[in-house]
Amino acid sequence: MTMIELNRLTKRFGRVTAVDDLSFTVHPGQVTGFLGPNGAGKSTTMRIILGLDAPTSGTALIAGRRYQQIVRPLREVGSLLDATAVHGGRTAHDHLMSVALSNGIGRSRVMMVLELTGLSAVARQRIRGFSLGMKQRLGIATALLGEPRVLMFDEPVNGLDADGVRWIRLLLRQLAADGHTVLVSSHLMSEMALTADHLIIIGRGRLLADTPTDRLTKSSGRADVLVRSPRVTELAALLTANGAAVTAEDGGLAVTGLAAPAIADLAAQHGIAVHELAPRQPSLEQAYLDLTAASTDYRAAVEASESGASR
Amino acid sequence: MTSVQIPAAQPKAPSLAARARDVIAFEWTKLRSVRSNSITLLIAAVVTIGASAVVAHSVASTGKPLPGGLSALTASFLAYAEYAVIPVSVLAVLQFTSEYSTGLIRTTFAAVPRRWALLAGKAAVVGAAALLTGEALAFACFALAQAILAGRHRGLSLAQPGVPGAVLAAGFVLCACALTALGLAAIFRHTAGAITAALAAIYLVGGLCLFLPAPWKADIGRFTMAFAASQVVALHPQAGLFSPGASMLVLVAWPAGALLAAGLVTARRDV
Repeated sequence: MTMIELNRLTKRFGRVTAVDDLSFTVHPGQVTGFLGPNGAGKSTTMRIILGLDAPTSGTALIAGRRYQQIVRPLREVGSLLDATAVHGGRTAHDHLMSVALSNGIGRSRVMMVLELTGLSAVARQRIRGFSLGMKQRLGIATALLGEPRVLMFDEPVNGLDADGVRWIRLLLRQLAADGHTVLVSSHLMSEMALTADHLIIIGRGRLLADTPTDRLTKSSGRADVLVRSPRVTELAALLTANGAAVTAEDGGLAVTGLAAPAIADLAAQHGIAVHELAPRQPSLEQAYLDLTAASTDYRAAVEASESGASR
Repeated sequence: MTSVQIPAAQPKAPSLAARARDVIAFEWTKLRSVRSNSITLLIAAVVTIGASAVVAHSVASTGKPLPGGLSALTASFLAYAEYAVIPVSVLAVLQFTSEYSTGLIRTTFAAVPRRWALLAGKAAVVGAAALLTGEALAFACFALAQAILAGRHRGLSLAQPGVPGAVLAAGFVLCACALTALGLAAIFRHTAGAITAALAAIYLVGGLCLFLPAPWKADIGRFTMAFAASQVVALHPQAGLFSPGASMLVLVAWPAGALLAAGLVTARRDV
């Protein structure tokens, strides 16, 4: 079991606490979404996991070891932090070759990841001329070089077109299905809803939720049923009498406390026509916004009060 | 509990030599795969050799004794010092600062988390490249300058005592400058600051000492790279300064100090 374990991880930059007593475990075989508003501490956490930043306290372990203790770490952990962080004067092939050699990885593997990411045709071109999408693919090729069991991507779909987003989503799902441990950060719930099996949500460096994706909506308890009827006042009285809570919404009724079949049966028994009956799950987006609202508000307030002050 | 846990095949841990080879291959590939690096070296070489020829020709055509204690040997290296040291030092600086400015340094340290090892690998590659370039240029400049001076019967040959050592030392000066620049680059991280610091260490500190009053000029000046470099390439070293041997130690101490400071700073800094 190769997993990422954070234990009470804290990172302070001067007076700013970027990561605050954060503990969670990322398991293999699923895509774990690492969500939070901009500035929540996602990138800092990933840099600490990779040994680039030193934590103020706490630990981040990969299969029980700190990253710096891993010999030839690219064979165990592949990462993409920033696809544009490459030297434009090098060709894609030379960039990959240099990184491969640093961990004793052979040329055949370089050719393989170029093929896998669809970059073979441009391998001999300088990276300077690459589009963001191509750089993103190159970054993923770099991450995959050492056939690592653990993969970490920081905002991999940022700035990509629809094809690029789809390609990355399928790749992440495939990697997870093959048993890899996959941690992907994003500030977009809509993207993670389609990709992640499990969500770790942070705000202001603190853990807000650590939950399977499908359970996040259920636990937020905002499911209801939208009902439209020409006899809406009668129906409202009827439903309330049967224990439902009813609020008017957009010419219809938002009903909680009764399931859609029960509502339909009641209406039928009393001869009330129903024109629309729609059970509604709260969107993941809404659940996410509810969770992070407090931390975002706080951050906006702090930034407003500290505007002009440098870090 | 009948299932048998089969541990994943652990690849044998690579030896220290294998890991050193990895880092050197990494840094060497990065150095040679950026075209501007080799173009810079080529231009530096052409300009340096050309300038050496001009200086030698000028010395040869005066017909008078060489001015200001200028020996036929140092005449070979006058141009060399100016024209090769600056581009090669800048090249060394860029090996670190270009990684910091692009962000590639994070990929580098993720690939080689042992930062002392990474610094040592970079120093090995940059140092070797600068040493080879330095020796090639030193011998080329010497041969060319002496061929021009020989026409006036004022040339030297490698067979004369002290001459091969002085030419070899001249090549080493380039390596010492490049490694000092590399260490300062790791400390400063930004190109402009690092180049300023490197040129200050190589030229300005020594230049400043020239303006000091008599006893201090030599007492302090002999610890600078500029004074030490002039001592190791001279056939007749100046009295009052360190001997060529001790000056060689000064030329080793500067890059060693810069790299040591770089290691201490880099090992504990967030990137």
